[in-house]
Amino acid sequence: MSRREEILSRISEVVAIPSCAHKAIVLLNDPDAAIEELARIIEHDPGLTVNLLKIVNASFFGDNRPMTTAREAIARLGTAQVLQFVVSTGVAPSFVQKIEGYDLSPSMHLQHSVTVAMAARQLGSVLGLAPPEYTFTAGLVSGIGKILLGAYVQVVVEPIMSLAFKEGLSFDQAEDRVLGINHAELGGMLLEKWGLPKDISDVVRYHLRPDEYVGENLVLDLVHIGNVLAKMIGAGLGADGLNYVPSTRVAGRLGLTPAILDTVSANVVEELGEAWDLFLECAEDSCPT
Amino acid sequence: MKTHVVTISDMKFSDKSQDVIVTYSLGSCLGVTAYDPKMCIGGMIHCLLPSSDSARDRARVNPFMFVNTGVPMMVRKLMSRGAVKSRLVFRAGGGANMRNDGLFNTGARNFAALEKLLVRNNVKLTACDVGGMIPRTMFLYLDTGRVVIRSLGKEKEL
Repeated sequence: MSRREEILSRISEVVAIPSCAHKAIVLLNDPDAAIEELARIIEHDPGLTVNLLKIVNASFFGDNRPMTTAREAIARLGTAQVLQFVVSTGVAPSFVQKIEGYDLSPSMHLQHSVTVAMAARQLGSVLGLAPPEYTFTAGLVSGIGKILLGAYVQVVVEPIMSLAFKEGLSFDQAEDRVLGINHAELGGMLLEKWGLPKDISDVVRYHLRPDEYVGENLVLDLVHIGNVLAKMIGAGLGADGLNYVPSTRVAGRLGLTPAILDTVSANVVEELGEAWDLFLECAEDSCPT
Repeated sequence: MKTHVVTISDMKFSDKSQDVIVTYSLGSCLGVTAYDPKMCIGGMIHCLLPSSDSARDRARVNPFMFVNTGVPMMVRKLMSRGAVKSRLVFRAGGGANMRNDGLFNTGARNFAALEKLLVRNNVKLTACDVGGMIPRTMFLYLDTGRVVIRSLGKEKEL
């Protein structure tokens, strides 16, 4: 069995994405807690968002168009079911503390994911493009493949890093060579398998290499640059660092300039300050074991 | 001993020799330290962007976001606590870029802004670890002014 086949076979066993729902547990124990605050936590957590979208899109399949944002799903499910959902997925004891293979603590992965989502949304806004709401969701879950590789397959990052360094490859190219698959492709495949809308799984799958996507896709372009910006800003960087290639074609399509990116970066850093409490709640020492 | 954490677009300083100042996860951002060895006082800034030229309002609210406003502000703060400008030792870390990035070069632009500022003030950078594609964490130890860069599990002194 090739390494790729081995990884894909392990992925079929994954039933929920790890998340860090410490703050959600605190809210569950508080009878006066507002559903609004719970919604805020879920919509900033890639694991909880993906698990929630998986459940709602399976339960309400065929009923309507597929749901693409956590807020929409919470509104559909209603308070009690949302609470049950958080309990059943967010605090399961098997959930990991640290993405060992990729040298990412839970709070770092959360910070990075939220930064990608905010940057994609801010970029759309600064460019005056009014992108769809699911731009945030797609950005938030774009790195989900890393959790899978790190937590379930226990991929070790060193051989990938050393190959990238030795042969001058981007990190995802080195993943392809060592594992037979990269974390973006794997994340996209999992989301597709879980029945998330193709609008989201395509963005996740191609967000590192948008030039390989056939056709034009505004959300993909925004998430691709959002990911570049999050890495340059440095929020929650892992061992892969900034070793990814920004697409000149996407930059040209969006009409990007350094000045535009500087404005978006500054907006994102200010917005991140407001979400800081979520990252603190997800610090390693406060995560449930 | 106290550890002061510098976040993005932030600056911290101390005159307590047992203290450490640290900034985590420098990507394209630039970390700059200034230290007066005689007074054992030093500061660290984590700048997001090179210049406030097109964002003057933002720089008024937070000058530490930009190299061209933040570094001079850090020096003024240190001087107000007794540091002497001519004694200050400057070191820098960070300023990484994406692979094959010919478009934005934020890391390179951040470092160029620092070099320009230092030349204008006739100040020499004692050491730096900038560029490449790696994340960096930067420490300043107030007892000696020692600056350490940690990246990918390895540490080196600047």
